[in-house]
Amino acid sequence: MVGAAEEAQLNRLESQVDNGGGGVWEYLCLVRKLKARRSEKVLKHGLSILNDPKSRSRLGGDEWTLYEQVAIAAMDCQWLDVAKDCIATLSKKFTGSLRVGRLEAMLLEAKGAWADAEKAYARLLEDNPLDQAMHKRKVAMAKAQGNISAAVDFLNKYLEIFMADHDAWRELAEIYVSLQMYKQAAFCYEELILSQPTVPLYHLAYAEVLYTMGGLENLQAAKKYYASTINLTGGKNTRALYGVCLVRYPGYFTHGFSPS
Amino acid sequence: MGAECRYEVAQAAYIKLVLHALKHRASPVGGLLVGRLFEDNASTVQIADAIPLTHSQIGLLPSLELALIQVEEHFGAEGFSVVGYYHANERYDDAELGNAAKKIGDHIFRYFPRAALLLLDNNRLEELLKGKERDLVVQLYTRDSSKSWHQAGSDGSSQLTMKGPSANVLLLDYISSEKWQNIVDFDDHLDDISKDWLNPNLFE
Repeated sequence: MVGAAEEAQLNRLESQVDNGGGGVWEYLCLVRKLKARRSEKVLKHGLSILNDPKSRSRLGGDEWTLYEQVAIAAMDCQWLDVAKDCIATLSKKFTGSLRVGRLEAMLLEAKGAWADAEKAYARLLEDNPLDQAMHKRKVAMAKAQGNISAAVDFLNKYLEIFMADHDAWRELAEIYVSLQMYKQAAFCYEELILSQPTVPLYHLAYAEVLYTMGGLENLQAAKKYYASTINLTGGKNTRALYGVCLVRYPGYFTHGFSPS
Repeated sequence: MGAECRYEVAQAAYIKLVLHALKHRASPVGGLLVGRLFEDNASTVQIADAIPLTHSQIGLLPSLELALIQVEEHFGAEGFSVVGYYHANERYDDAELGNAAKKIGDHIFRYFPRAALLLLDNNRLEELLKGKERDLVVQLYTRDSSKSWHQAGSDGSSQLTMKGPSANVLLLDYISSEKWQNIVDFDDHLDDISKDWLNPNLFE
């Protein structure tokens, strides 16, 4: 979840780096911190550091984090040879590491070798049953293969164990919305609001789902949550402001495009 | 109702929708199609423009309704209205028209019975990027009285044509100059209201 200010900072750094103004490492660190998905840029600029022995040695211990970041970016852009090289370098340095094992399984995923990837993850999970990232890779694989119901299943089982994982609740809510299972999506947002009541994003998302479900009670509840979003964001959130107007006259202005 | 209907897409609409999809490769995208019936030929729908809507939650109503209000308001004066919806799926090998897209199509159908749904064809798009594709990279879906959406071309009725030649050549040009970075959709507008979802300067 990237806020507007952080995104602006990220974009600024990105254009600075693109135009040769330096700050590459700062950019890559920010991308990592915000978990933003800018794989093409990360790949391009990350490789420029890794391929230059001087810049690489200047990184010291961070060199390995960069290898990991570039490997993942390479897999996202389908530059599988680059990914393989990065992972091989990491594997030589950290033999038998769980983190490297995960990257190797991700490479199998990127190649589309689903069965092999599943076996690899199963093996790794046997030794490390509480590794959150590995469980989430299973969800990602199911989603990537188009098996949405399996993804939902895995995610629900994951949340029974790791119920404080907010990103997972959000992901589940978004999947439910894409399946038009609005009641279930609403439940996820309720969990998020209960555990983090001062995060406006959850209030807003909940309001939007309620509005979509329609019906008098839901619309009144939506109005309350749009209002609380406005409260929490000091009136700066456009969607919430529009939302409060829309709930007054649902469908009135759109010549009958009423929420169903 | 939808049978024997021709749809003529303007270059601007076609290019916008492909650029929108290319800007957000890891998520589904959707947008509205704006146009009208041809005066002299009532069985041809002219799709004059595409308004990029969203690259995140396709199934939610508030921003869709907001966009419909504003689009109708803006284009109504010129005699245009919403004539369809375009969609691109999240996954590369997903070639099906999802339920969310169909529902939006159903809404539009109620007010424009010749509504069209355009689905981005990922295979054709890939071929296009390799320089090997001549056809349009979208699939047309229309709805008949049976209340379901059918892919056009499979039974000979309903055709999609491009207004003006060589749209794909122009498209490739824009792609190579990374024009997709400049495209603004309704989501972007709601996040930063100074961004214009009409994309007025996109093709300059």
